[in-house]
Amino acid sequence: MGVNISAPYIYVCTRMRMRKAKLLPREEYQRMLNMSVSEITRIIGETEYKQEIDELGTIFKGIDLIEVALSWNLAKEYQKIQEITPGNLKQFTQVYLRRWDIQNVLTILRGKMQGEKPGKIKEILIPAGSLDKVILDRMLSEESSDRIIEMLKTHRMYPVLAREYPAAKESGSFSHMENELYKHLYANIIADAKAGVKGGASFLAYIQLEIDIKNVKTLFRLREDDLEEDARDMFIPGGSLSLLNFTSLNNIKDLNEFIDMIRANIRNGTLHSLLDELKGNKSAHDIEARLTRVQLEQMEKMSKRNPFSIHPILVYLEKKKYEVFNLRAIARGKESRLPADKIMKYLVI
Amino acid sequence: MAAELVVATTDLAMIQAQQAGMKAIGAGLAVGLTGIGTGVAEMGIGAAAVGAIAENKDFFGLGLLFTVIPETIVIFGLVVGLLLLFL
Repeated sequence: MGVNISAPYIYVCTRMRMRKAKLLPREEYQRMLNMSVSEITRIIGETEYKQEIDELGTIFKGIDLIEVALSWNLAKEYQKIQEITPGNLKQFTQVYLRRWDIQNVLTILRGKMQGEKPGKIKEILIPAGSLDKVILDRMLSEESSDRIIEMLKTHRMYPVLAREYPAAKESGSFSHMENELYKHLYANIIADAKAGVKGGASFLAYIQLEIDIKNVKTLFRLREDDLEEDARDMFIPGGSLSLLNFTSLNNIKDLNEFIDMIRANIRNGTLHSLLDELKGNKSAHDIEARLTRVQLEQMEKMSKRNPFSIHPILVYLEKKKYEVFNLRAIARGKESRLPADKIMKYLVI
Repeated sequence: MAAELVVATTDLAMIQAQQAGMKAIGAGLAVGLTGIGTGVAEMGIGAAAVGAIAENKDFFGLGLLFTVIPETIVIFGLVVGLLLLFL
């Protein structure tokens, strides 16, 4: 593994560890589960989200305030990390964060298609990738979706957008295009990691783990939903599974046999122990949350093995993302008056 | 006889001069190499300390303290150098 002991690497990795230590602990979530939305807002306002809550407090109220403040904070945090990471780490971080571009572009296209107002779409954008607030604002002000696609001509996702968008527009569903965009993203990330840049091996190891977990999640989801869609469309190449294995796994009806086959195909100790536990029947969502926990646990292990590599940065990026997701889940759950134990199931702690 | 005495004295002076030179080189190496060692050790600690301070100002005192701990290495080198030169 590429371990780089140089001062800038040590500096940035320490900063990431410090930031990770500032993330909300488990007890804080448990306390929040017994609070109302306004109390949660107050608690969040005393932590790292203070600036956003103060800034947006006059414009938004209640659940909207939490939602927008969380998104703004996440975007600010990610932009800041891109600023402070040095050399190759910056390149890897930027490549990794490009997934937010896909999410933002798809949100804008979907919003435009459904005739939402630009202001409403803007509330849910997270400008954490290479497309910053200014570009996203320009895209939002465009009336025609074709013009939005044209604006992305220099972006790496343009070839896929240009190829898939006409069909997506005709059918009114962006799901196939979304799958293709993510496949293209992962192919690009793998190509960048394999380009021979120092530290690429550690990055590749993480990306392969992520693809594996994503594919396993998809397989569980497909089992649960009995979807008629072509499973091959949802497969992301680049991990331990091949397309052939993926489709054959999808055709196995018996849960125990299915789990044994996954075990045989993916070598990962933490995942294996989870799969052993899963041999009893569980709901699909619970399995997903647990798979995410396995992924984070594995990332944590990797970051300890390579303390001055891309891993500590990626661990922080992921943990921060899940903190925002958790807070959003708690706030939304409280707003919908869900019981605490039900909200707890959705949290990734 | 006298010529032999002159040669022996010249040899002795040369040897003494060489010894003094060797001592000086030894002292230089002691300070120089330990200086490099200290620098290498402080690089990592200093970088981590600055990273920690950037996130939390309270770490300033502790960070500074840890950063200068490898200074002891160069102080040992300096002591060895001084001993070589003056003893």
